[in-house]
Amino acid sequence: MSDSTAVVGAGAPARMRRSRLIDRGFRGTTLVVGLGLIALLALMLVELTTGAWRTFEAFGLHFFVGTSWNPVSGREAFGALPFIFGSLVTSGVAIVIGVPIAVGLALLLNQVRGSIANPLTVFVDILAAIPSVVYGLWALFVLKPILDSSVEPFLIATLGRVPLIGALFRGKAQGPDLFTAGVILAIMILPIVTAVSREVIAVVPRDLREAALALGATRYESVRLAVLPYARSGIVGASMLGLGRALGETIAVSLVVGNTPRIGWSLMDPGATIPSWIASSFREATSVGLHRSALLALAVTLVVMAFILALLSRLLVSRTAELVSGPSADEVVTAAALPRAG
Amino acid sequence: MTKNWQLAGAGALALTIALVAGACSSSSSSSSSSSIGAAGGGFEGVGLTGAGATFPDPIYEQWFQDYQQVEPGAKINYQAIGSGGGIEQFTAQTVDFGASDAPLQADEIKALPTAYIELPTVLGGVVIAYNVQGLDSGLKLDGETAAKIFLGDITTWNDQAIAALNPDVSLPSTPISVVHRSDESGTTFVYTSWLSSQSKDWDTKVGADKAVQWPTGTGGDGNDGVAAAIGQTDGSIGYLSYDFAVSATLGIADIKSDDGSFIKPSIDSISKAGGGLTFPIQPTTNILNSSAKGAYPIATTTYLLLYKDGTDANKTQTIFDFVTWALTRGQATVQQLNYSPLPPDIASKALTALSAMTVNGQPLTASSAVTG
Amino acid sequence: MSATSGAVSLGPVRGVRHVKDVGFTVFLWTCAVLALVPLTWIAFYVVSKGIGALSWNFFTKEPAGPLNPQEGGIVQSFIGTGLIVGIATVIAVPLGILAGIYLAEYGKGPTASAIRLVAYVLLSTPSIVAGAFIWALVVVALGNFSALAGGLSLVVLMWPIVAIASEAVLRLVPQELREGALALGLPRWKTILRVVMPTAGAGLLTAVMLAVARALGETAPILLTALGNDFINTDFRAPTDAVPLRVYDYARTPVEALHSIAWGGALVLLAAVLFLAISARVLSNRQQKRMA
Repeated sequence: MSDSTAVVGAGAPARMRRSRLIDRGFRGTTLVVGLGLIALLALMLVELTTGAWRTFEAFGLHFFVGTSWNPVSGREAFGALPFIFGSLVTSGVAIVIGVPIAVGLALLLNQVRGSIANPLTVFVDILAAIPSVVYGLWALFVLKPILDSSVEPFLIATLGRVPLIGALFRGKAQGPDLFTAGVILAIMILPIVTAVSREVIAVVPRDLREAALALGATRYESVRLAVLPYARSGIVGASMLGLGRALGETIAVSLVVGNTPRIGWSLMDPGATIPSWIASSFREATSVGLHRSALLALAVTLVVMAFILALLSRLLVSRTAELVSGPSADEVVTAAALPRAG
Repeated sequence: MTKNWQLAGAGALALTIALVAGACSSSSSSSSSSSIGAAGGGFEGVGLTGAGATFPDPIYEQWFQDYQQVEPGAKINYQAIGSGGGIEQFTAQTVDFGASDAPLQADEIKALPTAYIELPTVLGGVVIAYNVQGLDSGLKLDGETAAKIFLGDITTWNDQAIAALNPDVSLPSTPISVVHRSDESGTTFVYTSWLSSQSKDWDTKVGADKAVQWPTGTGGDGNDGVAAAIGQTDGSIGYLSYDFAVSATLGIADIKSDDGSFIKPSIDSISKAGGGLTFPIQPTTNILNSSAKGAYPIATTTYLLLYKDGTDANKTQTIFDFVTWALTRGQATVQQLNYSPLPPDIASKALTALSAMTVNGQPLTASSAVTG
Repeated sequence: MSATSGAVSLGPVRGVRHVKDVGFTVFLWTCAVLALVPLTWIAFYVVSKGIGALSWNFFTKEPAGPLNPQEGGIVQSFIGTGLIVGIATVIAVPLGILAGIYLAEYGKGPTASAIRLVAYVLLSTPSIVAGAFIWALVVVALGNFSALAGGLSLVVLMWPIVAIASEAVLRLVPQELREGALALGLPRWKTILRVVMPTAGAGLLTAVMLAVARALGETAPILLTALGNDFINTDFRAPTDAVPLRVYDYARTPVEALHSIAWGGALVLLAAVLFLAISARVLSNRQQKRMA
């Protein structure tokens, strides 16, 4: 009998009080730690903005919409728009390609038996630790030539002809571009999105799935009805982890994206992302002149972007709650049990 | 399951104890126990930390290795975080010395908290590399034409201007793909300085700096990024530091010097340009367009930044000894890594600049291990 | 009733339903192939380029200079990574799990939403920005680069990962378990520590492992905070080396001979995480068996 069961015996009120104190203390501790995250972000923003202040003073809000970046002293002009564009596009490509594949793999890992799933799981997990410079060099010497010679020409010839989305696939396949950067980012986020999705799907109660199957649902239907709705918020969480990694990736992207600040329709053209640009310039940029300050201003821009994206995804999760999820297992069972009309 | 948590907790505790013990018992890597005149003859040196330029990183690493034979206690830790980073850390006094590929600029000098010594250590060059099917190495180019190419005014390989410089080469009609550095670098600084000196157009439209707004072309990250980009696309042209170009299998251009002859970049032709280095080092000091015969026009040097008035006797003696050694015996190794040695008179001028260093107000003399 | 909207007609499995099912299976396997091919390729790339560098010197000596690199090694990088990532893990994991507990167990109000949002934003911090932040805060204040600063810059990256991943897995522990424990008189905190967390144990281990794996491979923040070192250092207040930093440097120099060492370093990193991942799997499988 644990000492915290039924409220009987002398000393029980004291024990309860002590327990409640510990409860409050525990909750308080976790709250403080949670608030610590906010403190960390605040502190970081303060440090960054202090450094970036001179740039904001000089350019004001125009910094966020300017399209020119010239660090030469005497001709200084700093505008963040091309990098915001590049970051959004490459991360977008990474999510669109990477998340479905990661979730598909996660579903598969939960379906096959352990002797196959376990080694596969370990394999995907270890790839989360590959230094980004390794991803970058592999992308530069292996992935990019393949994309340039086969995949991109194929896309230009096929999807490039389709109205509307065709505009995304025009131009020269050769050379560094946003698409290649998006693909390597997709590969880089696979381990983390798969790992978390896998864990999340694994915890879906078996009786939900089994109820659906027992009622004659196909494997696909049981996943759609029983697994995905339950795991949905966890999968969104996994995707956000992936998005975070994609937005913040520096070295691998800078090796294949072309580092050319520009805005345009085609994915086949070079571009630049905020972190790759900061990483490229930071080591040499000095605090004299506006250059380092402008780079810190770019960092602030990225934090603001991430903030907006996080807010949007929260909205997305709650709004589509009704639309995306099918009925719960309870509802399936109830529906089947009711006599059919007519 | 409780056992697992207990194990984890114990492991964390053990790790913490180990860390704290390690910190308390070992001294920091930048101070060790040597002293002047230790038994066995001579100063043995102490550990130092330096940071800065990437261009001389390989030769500095080799030097610091070799130097440990001379003064065994001199564990010099150098990290190539970039010239700008080197200047930042030197200014913040978080390192014992700095290194920069470009000379200190006026506002950087103003920001320095103490007196400094700036001197050259080794020479290198920037080459124009290209990858065009059918074109061998040794294509002839001059400043005007190069500027036009990088401005985007010349767009195909068989353009008039290029053909005029290379009458006996058949040039293809391939479009030119320009590759430049996307990251800031001393290499860009040298190359754009040379373009500015050769083309008024370039000077007005773009200018010279460690990073500029390129009118055309794509960016490669680092010398290796540029080399890879050039190698992967037919018709590409870009600029690289000489030691990189040697290992990459790309075509390298001969550059027209001010006296009209075309110079092929080599350890020798770069070394010849070194004679033009003037002391004391100014923000505009450079060895571009050297008038010496056979000197490569796009040559450059790299600088060490030292604190002029030291307070730690051991550290100051170590750095003084090392630089003396590097400017004398060290110059013999540089060619093996594709750097060019300083001409002897420039090396001695650098030694003179070094002699201004003091420790607690007293001048220094090199230890016997270095001079002997 | 809305229950039947979008629901299947529970008749015999043929026609469209069957096609969808087969199509789904095909989709899953395609995903697996698309994911595994590049990942396998990268792994092989690293192994093939790095295996030649592994030697006794590689694991036990400090660097020997670019002209004869095979006489030296990168022992200081291994020790340094252990030190820096060790510091970061010891700080970030407890903080992350506690934050995850708050969000999953007590996390219904606006405070929790704010914390969650902030965690997501912190997730996209570019590693170089984390490095610059800690540089300004710690390195300048202390007057020199240090393993401690390096560890702290990794904490900035690891903390949100552990927090969000922990929340995701803790949230999925069935509510009935909590309610059952509380009904038996277990106080809230004991419920969380003794019932919820162990149930989510495998997932928590994964969360920790993901964060540690990420930390092991980071270069940019270490560059600005721990600087790097060509010599062994065990003092957390001094400049320290790290494997990814060394890989980055060596892979990008013009000295060919150093490239092999770079890939060797990357290979050792892979092996280290392999060990971590296998341990995590073994521990979690063992724990699942006990729970069953």
